[in-house]
Amino acid sequence: MLLATLALGPAAQDAAAAATVWTVDPAHSQLTFHPRLAGGEFAGRFERYEATIRFDPADLAQSSLLVAVDLLGARTGDADRDTALQGSDFFQATRWPKGTFTSTGIKPLGSGRYEATGKLTLRDITRDVRVQFRFDTTAPSGGTAHMTGTSNVRRLEFGVGQGDWRSTEWLDDAVRVEFDLALRATR
Amino acid sequence: MPLRNTAEAYGSLAKFLHWAIVLLIVPQYFLAEAADELPNGIEKLQILNWHKSLGMVVLLLALARIGWKVMNRGMPGPIGEPWQRKAAAAGHGLLYLLILAQPVSGWAMSSAANYPVTLFGWFQFPALVAENHGLHETLEEVHEVFFYALVTVAAVHIAAALYHHFVLKDGVLRRMLPFSRPSA
Repeated sequence: MLLATLALGPAAQDAAAAATVWTVDPAHSQLTFHPRLAGGEFAGRFERYEATIRFDPADLAQSSLLVAVDLLGARTGDADRDTALQGSDFFQATRWPKGTFTSTGIKPLGSGRYEATGKLTLRDITRDVRVQFRFDTTAPSGGTAHMTGTSNVRRLEFGVGQGDWRSTEWLDDAVRVEFDLALRATR
Repeated sequence: MPLRNTAEAYGSLAKFLHWAIVLLIVPQYFLAEAADELPNGIEKLQILNWHKSLGMVVLLLALARIGWKVMNRGMPGPIGEPWQRKAAAAGHGLLYLLILAQPVSGWAMSSAANYPVTLFGWFQFPALVAENHGLHETLEEVHEVFFYALVTVAAVHIAAALYHHFVLKDGVLRRMLPFSRPSA
């Protein structure tokens, strides 16, 4: 077996060294956004998203984050506001139903914290964003992990806010996005 | 005019709080009606922001008014027949209760729909209840019922004050009027 592995050469070794693939346990995870409206902050949540997380603290070069969010699953606790959010002034989700984030690099910030840089696409507009997060394995075996993080997204860079909502007088440009993910290793 | 209440008249602070609450409550109805007419958008948000902020000011002033009342035992005493005194005490109690309950119900109603409540955007109050659609619907009705109750009790309050002034011709109304001195 060992000989066979060696015989396969560098390709097989790379595969073996590739960062762990983690799957999200949706029942114990959340992806939320925190707009500031008329000077008051509220939280909304994305009920549906898919995340492909390859992460190994010891191998950040092979680690990557890929998230696709179903914008029609954005919920704020008020049906009128949800409709507005999915409408043409904001996500225009019938035309562009997905928001995606693809990391381009991850660097350590120390003491279990990291920063991912990557491309966020909303309304067919792609811009660079940064995501700060913590990653902690939660089982001694390393089979489960907890990932929490935040990113400050400038909604107007993506045209999220048309018409009156281009103004930042009543709705801030910066929207904090937060996530709290329960992960299971699936290598 | 003394700051504190005397046996003859309310002091300037009690008068200020009484009339400030009146002046802030009256436009609340018109702001709510105006917001109701508007489609969702910035204009509605702006008007509701005023409505909610003024409501929170009323709540704070009402708490101050009650606190000040408790600290001022030497306030003008009730007059009239025992039944009138009881009616006046009950009416005032109900009025205070509604002036407190109305902003609290509005605050809870906003919280139930996950809308923030601030003081003109300078300060954000915490959510009073968790997001809950059914509760929001209920509180919306409660807020309306409290409004009608408040109008009714306030109308009786005003009628009683005018009755004292024009029929009984005593000093009851005058002792809460701004800038007026008790009759000798």
